[in-house]
Amino acid sequence: MRSYPNILNIYAETTLNLLLKRAKKPKVHTIEDYLKDGGYQALEKALNMSPEEIIDWVDKSQLRGRGGAGFPTGKKWKFAVQNPAPRYLICNADESEPGTFKDRILIERDPHLLIEGMIISAYAIGANQAFIYIRGEYPAGYYVLLDAIEEAKAKGFLGKNILGSGFDLEIYVARGAGAYICGEESALIESLEGKRGFPRIKPPYPVQYGLFGRPTVVNNVETLCNIPLIVGMGWEEYRYIGPSDYPGPKLFPVSGKVKKPGVYELPMNTTLREVVYKYAGGTLGNKKVKAVFSGALDCFSAEELDTPMDYSPFGFGGTGTVIVLTEEDDIVKACLDIAEFYAHESCGQCTPCRVGTHEQAYLLKKLIEGDATPKDWEGLQFVNKYIQPTSICGLGAVAGRLIRQTMQKFPEEWERYVGKIKEVAYGTS
Amino acid sequence: MLPSELEQKLLEHANYFPRSEQAILLCLHEVQEYYGNIPPFALERVAQILGVPLNHVENVVSFYDMFDRGEPARHRIRVCVSVVCNLMNKQRLLDAIKKHLGIGVGEVTKDGRFKLIAVQCLGACSEAPVFMVDNDTYKFESEEKLYEVLSKYT
Ligand SMILES: Cc1cc2nc3c(=O)[nH]c(=O)nc-3n(C[C@H](O)[C@H](O)[C@H](O)COP(=O)(O)O)c2cc1C
Ligand code: SF4
Ligand code: FES
Repeated sequence: MRSYPNILNIYAETTLNLLLKRAKKPKVHTIEDYLKDGGYQALEKALNMSPEEIIDWVDKSQLRGRGGAGFPTGKKWKFAVQNPAPRYLICNADESEPGTFKDRILIERDPHLLIEGMIISAYAIGANQAFIYIRGEYPAGYYVLLDAIEEAKAKGFLGKNILGSGFDLEIYVARGAGAYICGEESALIESLEGKRGFPRIKPPYPVQYGLFGRPTVVNNVETLCNIPLIVGMGWEEYRYIGPSDYPGPKLFPVSGKVKKPGVYELPMNTTLREVVYKYAGGTLGNKKVKAVFSGALDCFSAEELDTPMDYSPFGFGGTGTVIVLTEEDDIVKACLDIAEFYAHESCGQCTPCRVGTHEQAYLLKKLIEGDATPKDWEGLQFVNKYIQPTSICGLGAVAGRLIRQTMQKFPEEWERYVGKIKEVAYGTS
Repeated sequence: MLPSELEQKLLEHANYFPRSEQAILLCLHEVQEYYGNIPPFALERVAQILGVPLNHVENVVSFYDMFDRGEPARHRIRVCVSVVCNLMNKQRLLDAIKKHLGIGVGEVTKDGRFKLIAVQCLGACSEAPVFMVDNDTYKFESEEKLYEVLSKYT
């Protein structure tokens, strides 16, 4: 086998031993490792079930998509199979939101869990071609997947007439090239068709009009890795993992100012406080938590540490990304990083998003550097709100969200900078 | 025609997916790996191989950040400048690179060995500050370790 590019030794821990059963160990697990552990038995079981029954199990398992939106996976599959074949399955491995590195370790360390999940999913939705779209900055993962697919083919788990079932499947691996927007499912599809990653106007949704205009299911890596678990143990038992409303294991990538950053597999009735203190070892230097950013999406204050890590309206939601900031960190400066991220990653299709994200970052920078005028401060708040209702896709919809939340939750942090504007404007200094 | 070794790989990619035009990003990665950037003459050949117009290839190249039309280098150092790496003081890493190689973001060393590029989150935030050299991902531990890593790329 080829030698892989340098892979980082990311710390991983699990209380459930499901998704990270093998991946907690930093090594590329081969098909032999996987088979020794009972791997591909769920596939055998699935091929003896009808596709409808598998979809029904996934629906009853209450699995929700782990790519950010938390959409019920069974429902998505049901929509897809209402539309005529040929259908496609796409695994979204574009993981590029700041703070998010959970799919990476599944891909790099336990590729067969993902591949088994994809074969079962493709069988369930009636797809004979499936694609993995992996971000360009994960070259090791790309080669690990190519090798794992060859291994699976050699054992008859992929290709024609899989395990004598009459079901055929090919999995292709595509690479991105440094565009966060290609994680948005319709942009991903455009990119996979060999074009710019411009999100499509929805509806129609990918389950109706996806790759090459065909019904397409797009699921996140972690979502697909849950499928062998559900089929293997049965949906009833799966429902006992964690809280009954939000069952199943969840991966939480934790970074920032904690003693033990890494990926944690926990049930969703865990609280944010437990993630930070019980698992990630508390903060560096035992400083007070100031805020937690869930990637580039939401901001939680220290008063909100009892938030459950689930998909309820007041839950942590999203991809489960936990970025910890302490009393030493400057919220407004961290907001500038977030603003620059969105400005850099806007695909440029919608004018308010293309111009507004840059304007937001520019005005924020001016504010931090002490050069802002009262008009700039008004402008910042205006663009921050204006991008959302005028954008085609979810990027524009959330480009101002975390920043707006910090203005509400940390007025004193903002006041430090806004105060300077007043001094300049009214000559009080 | 491009050098046969590269040509061979591009043809393989073109035949890999159900539709040849899907291989455009794989082909462009291959071109960049070979030349250290995306030279205009290679685009014509990529267009021919994939059976798409040249302006389509051009349109795609200009959209994706990893493709570089600028000055080439033998190795590319990508430093993450996103929020977590910034919280964990990525500036130390940029300073150490500047000190050792004399280049800032966007610059190429005089000997053409390295190019320094600032990128958004590399998806390894628990190890922040993080950087890549070509296809390899590293954590910045200390200046000495950094120099040791860089010395492997000649
Ligand atoms: C700007 C943007 C970026 C996204 N990036 C990703 C990503 O990197 N990975 C991912 O799985 N989903 C991402 N999503 C969500 C996808 O559009 C889609 O909802 C998801 O892949 C569906 O899979 P799931 O149902 O299994 O969660 C992104 C969405 C938006 C709006
Ligand atoms: S909202 Fe922004 S990222 Fe989304 S399609 Fe419009 S310009 Fe592109
Ligand atoms: S923020 Fe730097 S690797 Fe994620």
